[in-house]
Order: sequence, then C-alpha cells, then structure tokens
Amino acid sequence: MKLKYIIAIVLIAAAIGAIVSTYGDSSTYVAFDTAVENMGSEYHVIGTLNRDKPLEYNPEKDANHFSFYMQDSLGMEMKVIYHNTKPQDFERSEKIVIVGKALNKDEFEASQILLKCPSKYTEGQKPGEL
Amino acid sequence: MLPGNLGHFSVVLAFATAIFSSAAFFKAFRSPDETGWGKSAVIGFYLHAAAVLSIVASLFYIIYSHYFEYQYAWQHSSTDLPWYYMISCFWEGQEGSFLLWIFWHMVLGLILLFTAKEWKYPVMFVLSLSQIALTSMLIGVKVFGYKLGSSPFELMRIVNESGPVFSMPDYLTRIKDGNGLNPLLQNYWMVIHPPTLFFGFACTIVPFAYAMAALMQKKYTEWIKPALPWALIGVMVLGTGIIMGGFWAYESLSFGGYWAWDPVENASLIPWLILIGAVHTMLIYKARKTALHFSYLMVITSFVLVLYATFLTRSGILGNSSVHSFTDLGMSGQLLVFLLMFLVLAIVLMVVHWKKIPTTPLEENAYSREFWMFIGALVLIVSAFQIILTTSLPVINKVFGSNMAPPTDVIAHYNKWQLPIAILIALLTATAQLLKYLKTDSKKFWKEAAVLGSISLVLTGMAFWWFGLNNWLYFILLFASVYTIVVNFKTAWPFIQGKIKVSGASVAHIGFGLMLIGVLVSSANKNVISRNNTGQAFFDGEDQKTVRENYENIYLEQGKPVDMNNYRVTYLGDSSKWVNIYYKVRYEQLDKEGNVKNTFMLYPNGQINPKMGFIANPDTRHYLSHDVFTYVSSVPKKNEENDAPFHNEKKHELKQGDSVRTNNGMVYFDGLHTKVDRSSSPELANVDLAVAAKIRIVTLDSTYTVEPVYAIEGNGIVSIEKVSDETGLRFRFMNIDPKTEHILIETAERSPRKNFIIMKAIVFPYINFLWGGTIVMIIGFLLSIQRRISEIRRTI
Repeated sequence: MKLKYIIAIVLIAAAIGAIVSTYGDSSTYVAFDTAVENMGSEYHVIGTLNRDKPLEYNPEKDANHFSFYMQDSLGMEMKVIYHNTKPQDFERSEKIVIVGKALNKDEFEASQILLKCPSKYTEGQKPGEL
Repeated sequence: MLPGNLGHFSVVLAFATAIFSSAAFFKAFRSPDETGWGKSAVIGFYLHAAAVLSIVASLFYIIYSHYFEYQYAWQHSSTDLPWYYMISCFWEGQEGSFLLWIFWHMVLGLILLFTAKEWKYPVMFVLSLSQIALTSMLIGVKVFGYKLGSSPFELMRIVNESGPVFSMPDYLTRIKDGNGLNPLLQNYWMVIHPPTLFFGFACTIVPFAYAMAALMQKKYTEWIKPALPWALIGVMVLGTGIIMGGFWAYESLSFGGYWAWDPVENASLIPWLILIGAVHTMLIYKARKTALHFSYLMVITSFVLVLYATFLTRSGILGNSSVHSFTDLGMSGQLLVFLLMFLVLAIVLMVVHWKKIPTTPLEENAYSREFWMFIGALVLIVSAFQIILTTSLPVINKVFGSNMAPPTDVIAHYNKWQLPIAILIALLTATAQLLKYLKTDSKKFWKEAAVLGSISLVLTGMAFWWFGLNNWLYFILLFASVYTIVVNFKTAWPFIQGKIKVSGASVAHIGFGLMLIGVLVSSANKNVISRNNTGQAFFDGEDQKTVRENYENIYLEQGKPVDMNNYRVTYLGDSSKWVNIYYKVRYEQLDKEGNVKNTFMLYPNGQINPKMGFIANPDTRHYLSHDVFTYVSSVPKKNEENDAPFHNEKKHELKQGDSVRTNNGMVYFDGLHTKVDRSSSPELANVDLAVAAKIRIVTLDSTYTVEPVYAIEGNGIVSIEKVSDETGLRFRFMNIDPKTEHILIETAERSPRKNFIIMKAIVFPYINFLWGGTIVMIIGFLLSIQRRISEIRRTI
C-alpha cells in the first residue's frame, strides 16, 4: 500500500480515537437520583445551597473537611462532603456545580466545587440584549 | 460629554474608513493601472489609523480621569487604582479587548504598507476587511432593530435606563466611585499578558492575508517567502503570550500550577499548534516545492481557529466550564458572522483555485527531512484536533442538544493524548534535523542516530535518577526530550561560531526540549507538602474509609510551629498594605537529624474583597532546583460569631485601679466615664443616664480594652455586656454603688478565638527548565526571523 494511504488511515484512526476518547471521558450533568442509582460513578450535579441546614467547617478540628446540604433541580437533597477548604463566600452562591460520586443515599462526596455567584464582579449589564 | 462623543465618533470613523480602504485596496489590485485607487486606499488607511488612535486616547482619558458617568469606566475602574492598573482596566472588558485587537491590526497594517511591496494591496484588502468586522463590534448602535456591537463610550444612564438613581438630575454626585478592577487582575501580568497575547492573535492574519492575496492574484507560489517571517513572528509572540499566561497563573493564582487545560487556555494553544505546523509546511515548500496546498490550508486554519477561539471565550458559551470566560454581551451572533465571513471567503477561494495551485507530489522517501517534517505537521494537527474536541463540548452540547460535561479528571484526559504526542514531536524534531532534504545516506543517518542516541540514553538514565522519576512512560518522554536537545545541539554547533542566524531552528528545538523536561519533572514530581499528616486519629463515622493524609491543606495557628514534610512552618502574623493582607510564614528546612539547615520567610497574601470574598495570591521561594509554592486557602472571618458558651461566671466588686486575675489574662478596672455613644446599641436610645466602665485586659501577647455599659431608664436598669473575642472574656456591668463608687462586674470565660490560617504548600521540582526552555525557544525564533528577513532582503 502506498505510504500516502497508510498515513491517511493512521490519521483517520487517530481522529476517531480522539472522538471516542472525548465522548467516553466526558461526564454528564445529572440529578442526585442518577448519582445514587449508580453509586461510585462520578457525575456533575448542579444545585443550590440549602441555607437552612448547617454548614460544617471547623478548620481547627480538620482543615480538610467541609460539608453542606444541597438541593438539585428536581428537589432532592443530599449532604455533600468536600475534603478541602470551604470555598470563599460559599454562602453567597447562587448555583453550585459539584463533581463527585454518591457514597450512599444521603451523602455525596465532591472532588470539585464550582460556584456561580450573583453578578459578583461583572455587574450584569448586558447592553447587547434585546 | 466630549471624550465620549469623540470616542464614539472615532469608532464610526474607523468603521467607515475600514470600509472605504477595503473597497479602494480591492480596486487597487484588480485594476492596477488605475493608480488613484491605491493612493486613496493608503490615505484611507492612515485616516483609519488616526481614528483608532483617537478611540484609544478617548477611552484611556475617560478611565484616567475617572469619568464614572461612562459605563465602561464605572464597571472596570475605580479611583484607588495606581496608574499601571488603570492601563489594565482598558482591556478588562470585552469592548476594550476588541479595541486592543483593532489597535494591533492597525499597527500591522501600517508595517505592511511599508514592507509588503507588490503584495501590498491585496494583503491590505484582507486586513481592512477584518477591521470592518472588528470595529463593528464597538459601534453600539441599533441597526434595523439589531444592536450592532457594544460601545465602550456608553453613558451609565443610557445603559441602566431603569435605574431609579438616574432619574435624579444630580445623579453623578451619588456615584462616588467605580466598580473597580477585578482583584484577580490587579497584577502586573494583567498589564503585559493581554497585549502580548492579542498581538500574537493579530499576527495570524498576516500569513492568512498573504495566502488569500496569492489566490486572488493567481500568484500561487511567491507568497511563501514574504509570509514565512510573519508566521514565525506570530508563533513567537503568541507562544510568549501563552507562556506569560501560564507564568501568571503559577505566580499569582492559587490553583497551584501553570496550565489547567482550561477551555480559554486551550483556545489560544490550538491556533498556535497549527501555526507551527504551517511554518514547517512552508519550509518544506521552500526546500522541495511540495506541500503547497497544505501550507494554504494550515495558514487559513490557524486564522480561522483564532476567530473560533474568540467566539468561544466571548460568547459566554463556556460559562459552566471555564474560570475565565467573559460574560456574554449578546454579541455571539455577530462573532459567528465574523467567523463565517472569513471561513466562506477562504473556502470559496480555495475551491476555485485548487487545481491551479502547482503541486509536486510528496516523495515518499522516508530518508528525507521533508517527509518527517510533514509527519510532524500531521501530528500537530492530531494534537490540536484532540484538544479542540473536548474544549468544544459546550458547543457540541448546544448544536446536538447533548448534555456532556467536561471529564471529571481533565488533566488525565488531556495528558493521555498529549503525552504520547509530545514524545512523537520530540523524536521528530530530532530525526528531521539528522536528515537532509531530498535524500540522506541511510548508513550515515543510522550511524549518527545510534551515536547521539546512545549519548542521550546515558544522559537520560542519569537525569531519570537525578530527578527521581519512576515511570517508564516518563522515561521515554525524558529520552525524547534529551535526544532532541543533543541532536539539535550538534546541528547548531557549527553555526554558533559563524552564521548564528542559521541555527535558529536548532535553538528553538533545544528550547522546546528543555520545556518538555520542565513540564515533565515539575508535574510528575509535584508534591503537595502540606498534606494533613497530623496523625490525629480522627474518625468521622461515615468517613472511616477515607484516607486522611491525602488532604492537602494544613491548619496553622498563630505562633505554633507545625512539621510539614521536611519543613517546620510557623504562622507568625499578618500585616496589611493597601487592600492586601500579607501572612508571614516562617519556613525552617530540617535535615535528617531534625536540625534547621535553612530558614526563609514567605508572605502569601490575600484580599478580603467586598464583592468577591477572599482572593489569595501565592508566594513562592525559588531555588535553582525547585520552587516552594505557598498560598493561603482560608482565613477566619474577622467578625464571625463564636458560638462557644461562656462559663466560669464570677462577680467582682471593684474600685478604680483594682485588678482581677482570669484564666485568659489580667483584668484592670481603669475607671468610669459617661461619654457613652447612645447610638451604639438600640437599648440605649431612651436611657436617662449611661455609664461605661473602662476595662483593660493584659495578656502575654497584647493588651485589649472593652467598655461594658450600665444605664438607667426610668425605674429600670439596662446593662450592655461586652465580649473581648481575642481573649474570650465577657464582662457584664451589674451595679454601681454611688456611695462607695464601687462597681459590680461579672466576668465569664471561654477559649479565646485563635488567629489562624489554612495553608497549602506545593513543591515544584525543576520548574526552571520550563521557564528557561521558553526563553531559549524564543531566542531560536528570533534568530530564524532574522534569517528569513535577510533572505528576502538579499533577493531584492
């Protein structure tokens, strides 16, 4: 086979490999019930902080243990445990995105927390909107 | 009103002159005998340049003079910023960064007017087209019901029409200060990284314009020579801008690294990879007159990818997946049109002229330099493709309605592709240099490869052991990097004493090899030394399974040393400067016997920003062989409620000068006064008489004062208790005996609130290879640029 064709085949194989890899490695945005059904698998869950339930962060006891209660878009609530410091201004968050897995039907262990805070530094002025 | 009006007028003028110049440049190269077109096009472009300068001057004047009636000044600046951060405000917002891009294109255009010679008119035509698209982003005027762009000169009261404050005629007096510059951006990097990066982006249009010009003029091959130095300049500047971003992240941001595979970072890397590929296919063409079609495609793709990167970062589509996308200004439609405009132009021209582009089939001689350079360009395309796929997940979601989130372990995902790719590229940069164009004697090649390969193997083995690596994949990457450094050193050597310019490629490859080593070693052996290894048997019930020592932050109480890895660290206290609080941490490096062999201080700092909360900046101790990187992850809130209960209540009868010993310090009663601020407490509003007791607490560290209050209202008594947080003492003023002037004070105690920080410390070994390698690579680019420019000069 001509070298040109071998190269083309290798390239296409690499491209397909990349597509499969991106699809395969991608996580999904789910609600808590899916995470509980597939305990141990990692997901992204979007939700809001339940301000009426306690937030626990006692750095003197353990600087790497933070827990809070979060409600997802379907209304299910779970206790979220995060083995890191409490993100700054956590209480002001509008929306929380957590990445992690369910430990049991009540608790979720987050390995990452991403916060969406209200307007914050950009004052939400959108002159382009019609 | 004047600067805003001038600015706005200048935008419209820049827009109009861009349209005029494009049309005139177009006519100039289509009808070259009508010389009037060329002259008027050039004048039009000079006018355009003046208009752009005027826009820049107006905006800067508004920011510098604190004219907060202008939306942009209010949103991005404030009165307390030093002048160099006011420059950064300029490009903090979308409109300002577009303006930066317009500015650089204008500068490039002026340079091209002087250097492009016979290519001037068609190349300037393409450039002016892009100026039309870019200036339209700043117009901010409604056209047929659609708002075209967003003007940086809009007044607050127009933007916020519904705001009640604007109905007052004197609203300006109520706007005391601007919103200020985002504290994460209050850093000297914000002054230099965006302009460099945008200059790099701007440079990609030049090879693109040359390629388009070649197609439009049907001069299909001659564009490579003048475009090559421009492609090299683009690679050099864009690469520098990207590395600056990495260095900034490393030095000033607290995610603990220099590259996070964040979508916005990736968006700038992808066109850079393609542009490097383009440089190499252009070199192949120069040497062997082949890979011409490919060069067109690479150069076009690199520019289109810059437009795509712009779209990704500015449309807001990355909102959920990136830490640094701009907020959507509703201009995504316009950006898409911009992207499609140039894409369609390029595709149409390529399709029409494809068959007419002269082509020499690529000889499949594996013993030729051009063969492996071509493979290298293909590998770079695969690399860029892989990165662009995952980065574009939000776009894919929008187009296909899917719900894919970024990988949970982003770094592992990219590394599993890019690590083998890096190995391949390193091997190729070495192999291609050992081969000659057209053909090479295979025996000579293998002999040289074996000799240099063996030397590299030995050096790799030593380095592998020295760096403390332990993974076969790392060994291969280390070997590939060392090999390319050794080979390129050999190829550079003869020129270093003579015509050094010719060694540009070798030097750049050496730089690349060094960078790879830096990335490999600092990432592989990155060591979070602040692992929580207090050894505390702390079981949390459900957490019994989790491994405590994997957690990466430690708690440092003021004054109490903690052993951390082979360091003893003590948090000594804090001090403030402007808005920043500097936390003084003493590091004592211990040797095996536990003796202190080295001491240094680090001052990680933070800002408690009213809008963004606590923003941390790291401080790093740089050694030649590693960096100790420290930042504060969390601090106690100054006015946080301490819920611990008070105990040990005791009543004391005191006269002035008396003292009481408590567990938390000596307490002195220094007398009474009646200058009580009635507004300090609602219960004091209507009292007839109020008396405060001056209580002084003395501890080993410091002295504190509190003033509990005793007041009379009609027949009742009001007692305002006071708590000293730092000492954990509560004082209640119970009674006064007016005859004896003795007072009755009840004291109560609890554990004093300790001052502490939560800290994370990381050691990055041999990271200087990365920064050093970058500098070497840039030197290599400079040499190559010089060489290609003098090649052009010689043929004139």
